[in-house]
Amino acid sequence: MKDLMKRLTEAYGPSGDEEQIRDLIRAEVESLADELRVDTLGNLIAAKKGQGGGKRVMLAAHMDEIGLIISYVDEKGFLRAQPIGGLDLTTLAGGRIVFSDGAVGVIAPENREDFRKEPELSKLYIDVGATSYDEAKGRLGQPAGFLRPFVDLGKRVVAKAFDDRIGCVVLIETLRRLQDTPHEVYFVFSVQEEVGLRGARTGAYGVDPEIGIAVDITASGDTPEARKMAMKLGAGPCIKVRDSGMLAHPGVKDLLIETAEAREIPYQLEVLAAGSTDAAAIQLSRSGVPAGCVSVACRYYHTPSEMVDVDDVENTVRLLVALLEEPIEL
Amino acid sequence: MDIVPLLKSLSEAPGVSGYEHQVREIVLAEFGRHADETWSDPLGSVIALKRGTAAEPRPAIMLATHMDEIGLIVSEIEKGFLHFEMVGGYDGRVLIGQEVVVHGRADLTGIVGSRPPHVLSASERDKPIPYDKLLIDVGLDPDELPNLVRVGDLVTMKSSLTELKGGLAAGKALDNRVSVAAAAVCLEELARVRHLWDVYAVATAQEETGLKGAITSAFGLWPDVAIAIDVTWATQPGTQDEYTFDLGSGPTIGHGPNFHPKLNKSLEDTAQSLEMSYHLEPAARVGGTDAVALQTTREGIPTALLSIPLRNMHTPVETVSVKDIERTGRLLAAFIAGLDESFLDSLVWDLGLDADDD
Repeated sequence: MKDLMKRLTEAYGPSGDEEQIRDLIRAEVESLADELRVDTLGNLIAAKKGQGGGKRVMLAAHMDEIGLIISYVDEKGFLRAQPIGGLDLTTLAGGRIVFSDGAVGVIAPENREDFRKEPELSKLYIDVGATSYDEAKGRLGQPAGFLRPFVDLGKRVVAKAFDDRIGCVVLIETLRRLQDTPHEVYFVFSVQEEVGLRGARTGAYGVDPEIGIAVDITASGDTPEARKMAMKLGAGPCIKVRDSGMLAHPGVKDLLIETAEAREIPYQLEVLAAGSTDAAAIQLSRSGVPAGCVSVACRYYHTPSEMVDVDDVENTVRLLVALLEEPIEL
Repeated sequence: MDIVPLLKSLSEAPGVSGYEHQVREIVLAEFGRHADETWSDPLGSVIALKRGTAAEPRPAIMLATHMDEIGLIVSEIEKGFLHFEMVGGYDGRVLIGQEVVVHGRADLTGIVGSRPPHVLSASERDKPIPYDKLLIDVGLDPDELPNLVRVGDLVTMKSSLTELKGGLAAGKALDNRVSVAAAAVCLEELARVRHLWDVYAVATAQEETGLKGAITSAFGLWPDVAIAIDVTWATQPGTQDEYTFDLGSGPTIGHGPNFHPKLNKSLEDTAQSLEMSYHLEPAARVGGTDAVALQTTREGIPTALLSIPLRNMHTPVETVSVKDIERTGRLLAAFIAGLDESFLDSLVWDLGLDADDD
């Protein structure tokens, strides 16, 4: 799975410009799915039709990542940008961005002292190595992702965009391993999560599931002086109870807990103070959908160095496969 | 109808957003007394249908009264104490010293503890303590606690409904169980009169965490007209008259872009015909009630909002006048009884409003 993690996290795909990451995922799932389609917003939807008698289940992991969009080019060829998704500004200075054509830019503060005191995106510019306005002007309006290689630390791995390419890895592996299921399972690789859960909203409307589960990252409370929260790396998939956008359906939450306990898969319970996932959008689709979320605990989320635990990823796949093998009654 | 006993059982039942099952049972039974059908939808809202007498297809009105309450949720267990996050916006300043019920593997009484003032520094003493520094203590030692409580367990205030003088009642979760009681009054009134329209009395789930039950139930029912019933700020020392209404002076009718003017006029006409005290409540900005969700469901639903004045909102001692509950229920019933086949036509902008002269 580490090879897949590397390929997916290093791929380009800020919200709204997911074509490259979608092609990569499509190549992985093409031979595994019974049906494959891309909807109007660009969600990639792979269906596995079970033997019947089960439920219509939607799993969602978002393909998009946070990034920047170029908003201005000055007369010397320096670029300014607006955020795509929630950025941690303090981690940007000195970093690099990459455009869809592979071109790279360096992010720099106008004045280091001033930026340190009051980090604002308007105090940063991007240097693409241009020597004139004309060389750089074509970048106006272009999105860019962050550039950072995947690093294998053994049990832990580090990359940009584990949020939520790790969810994509989990969905692909679940689809690969799922042999027998009574359910009609829709693996939705969603777009535009980071700008308001927009892909999951239309994806859920189209799939019209009877139960929805998002797979995403969550914060962890196991680093020095972290806010008090129960999630930690290496203690198993986090079964979400609540985040600031959703209360998981108690039946879905309990089903996940019972499945984990029955199969002796380690798990932890998640109460997240701030943030949300595609499940919040799925829950509100049409007349409402019982929805939940399985999260992979992640340190340093929304920075270019997000860290997850490989065993957590493996156990998340095991939990989902186990859930989908059995009948579902809420 | 004797409102206080119903209000007491509604108020004292735990039902934090997303976990409304106990209050749901009470509502199913109460609404069910006068409804033709009752059921729960996927998010857990209770829907009671009371059929009208007009020929099919009948127009339908939806009443939305949220039944969830704000509460706390265990976020971490540390050395025998519980850290928590909020579900909905509890007034954090009132949490210290409260008795709570931790809904773990069993219901456990706990208290929200606080370090004594003697050991605080001067700067700490002057400021409210942020809730993420507060801890719940159920008394169990660190070894036993995880057997009974785990992360994600809900916490409600241990608070029983108290009757005050002057026909007032105080307790937790009166935002918005008073409106659930008003809907029950309405259904009981409707059992005695003929009404043409179908009535969906809906006790919505998860209003306090984003109007969720209203969004999904309104989509499913797709009524022709909707009225949300919620609470508003009552006058108390230190409040601004502009935004507050006296307890016991009747419900308010919301006015502003969220609400359909013709619907409002009919509600006002009804209140006047009943010689009932009421107030207009201007709301220039779209507020935080179920009415916000109802109005923009599907192609749009003409929506109104009745509010019951309440003191001490989002504390365990929310205070209301029982008389206002009864009035709100009667106003709703009289309005519904007056709905005829032509009422929908009167809501059409080009046809009804400009030509309206009755």
